[in-house]
Amino acid sequence: MAEFVAVADSSEVSDGSSLLVEVEEQLIVLIHAAGHFYALDDVCTHDGGPLSEGPIDAAAGTIACPRHGAKFDVKTGSAVTMPATSATIVHEVKVENGRVYVRLNR
Amino acid sequence: MNHVNATGSDIRFMSSTLAPAGFTQETFDAFMATREEPSWLVDLRQSAWSRFNELAMPSGREEEWMRTDIRMLKLSQYSLSTEVAAIETPQGLLAEGVELGGRTVSVDSHTTESELADRLADQGVLFGSLDTLVAEHGDKLRPYIERKLVDPLYDKFSALNSACWSGGNLLFVPQGVQVEEPLHCLSVLSDGGVDLGKTLVILEQGAEATLLAETASVGAESGGLHCGSIELIVERGARLRYVNLQNWSHRVWHFAHQMGHVGAGGKLQWTIGALGSRLAKVNQRVALTGSDAEAQVNGVMFTQGKQHLCYNTHQHHQAPYCQSDLLYKSALQDHSRTVWRGMIKVDNAAQRTNAYQRNDNLMLAPTARADSIPGLEIEADDVRCTHGSTSGRVDDEQLFYAMTRGYTRQEAVRMIVTGFFQQVFDRITIESVREALGEAIGQRVQQL
Repeated sequence: MAEFVAVADSSEVSDGSSLLVEVEEQLIVLIHAAGHFYALDDVCTHDGGPLSEGPIDAAAGTIACPRHGAKFDVKTGSAVTMPATSATIVHEVKVENGRVYVRLNR
Repeated sequence: MNHVNATGSDIRFMSSTLAPAGFTQETFDAFMATREEPSWLVDLRQSAWSRFNELAMPSGREEEWMRTDIRMLKLSQYSLSTEVAAIETPQGLLAEGVELGGRTVSVDSHTTESELADRLADQGVLFGSLDTLVAEHGDKLRPYIERKLVDPLYDKFSALNSACWSGGNLLFVPQGVQVEEPLHCLSVLSDGGVDLGKTLVILEQGAEATLLAETASVGAESGGLHCGSIELIVERGARLRYVNLQNWSHRVWHFAHQMGHVGAGGKLQWTIGALGSRLAKVNQRVALTGSDAEAQVNGVMFTQGKQHLCYNTHQHHQAPYCQSDLLYKSALQDHSRTVWRGMIKVDNAAQRTNAYQRNDNLMLAPTARADSIPGLEIEADDVRCTHGSTSGRVDDEQLFYAMTRGYTRQEAVRMIVTGFFQQVFDRITIESVREALGEAIGQRVQQL
């Protein structure tokens, strides 16, 4: 099982924004929404767009792909709107002493 | 949006090089200082190096790269190799049981072994390290190298290879000479190594040859970077069978520009096996430049884990009465992904063209993904150009039937996968290649 890896200070990611981080040779988008942190593969399942470059709707708990607007649930990774139909992979996150840790869900 | 590296020193990098890391002016100067080459070649390298420095890394905003994410590639982790790594060379797959007319082995694009049968050398055949043969036969090879079949200005990777290629392979077959025994090239990457090899094949008028080229990594977990080029020149009435098996480890970045030119009445059979690499981005182009030229392009891909293989193919008909026939077949496991983008381009002069392209994908896991994008661009008005693409899963009824006949589930899957590839295996006329590809794929098939 993968280990938790420290990726950022919680203060680096303001609420409603995201940070692209590299964990064990994978690109992960770390999302801060409505006071919670989430981590998803930085991949839109529609055509591979980078979610880290898309807008976050903190109230709705979604992040949108900048290419075609597909939205994903930041908690579950599931595709909320077309044109994406399948979930992107969600990873485990914890915050301890102001540090954000991510554990890959392989 | 920011980008931080959370792995830090976790990234494993063991280089066989002495030069400082990265493709910097300092490393390029150190590399050039080791070369003893004619001035025209030095000028070509300097020009390409300038272009390399001018060009940005490709980004996902470009159509050609939007499905292939290379943000994790850090060129600064790699460098030009100036010394041969001391490694135990792995065995190749293609030449088992084959009587060869010649063979080369390279490690990190340094040629370490080179042999050619005396009877072929006596007929004027040149085969071996491009490095060495350019030094010995520069005047003969200069026109072919200066043709720049692979455009050094195309992207950052073609510029890097044009500026910094080393080792490499050359096959030159003089007019009318028929080389019956296959020739074999094995390119090996050490852990963290860099291969910037360039392959140049020249068949003069009426010549014939078969070249089997393959790659391998020193270990299943060894990383590295390959940024290569292949130029095949098949002149009037010549016949070339060229096989290229890409079998790097799953931690290798693989970038390649490949170009075949077929003159009037020439025939090129080009077979690609793509099994390895972490990420591959290959541009494979064939140009039919004289009337009645023919090209048959066969592709066999098998992906697993998180592999990402992207092949852009281009069949360019420049002259009338030519035929091209492309068949790519892919089977995908796990979370792997393939991208195939094919284009048939027919110039106005290329009347009576007969061109075909097809890509079939067998999805062995619901989490795998295949993007298949065929295309036609036709300026002539008397042509036959067709294309097709299929994607599907293993048929449950076929599995059930095979299991009722006593096969285990895995045996049944393996049999169905082999059957899927049979259509392309049937086109491969070299038995050792068919067997090697079939065996390698069979070993990779997991239970569904």
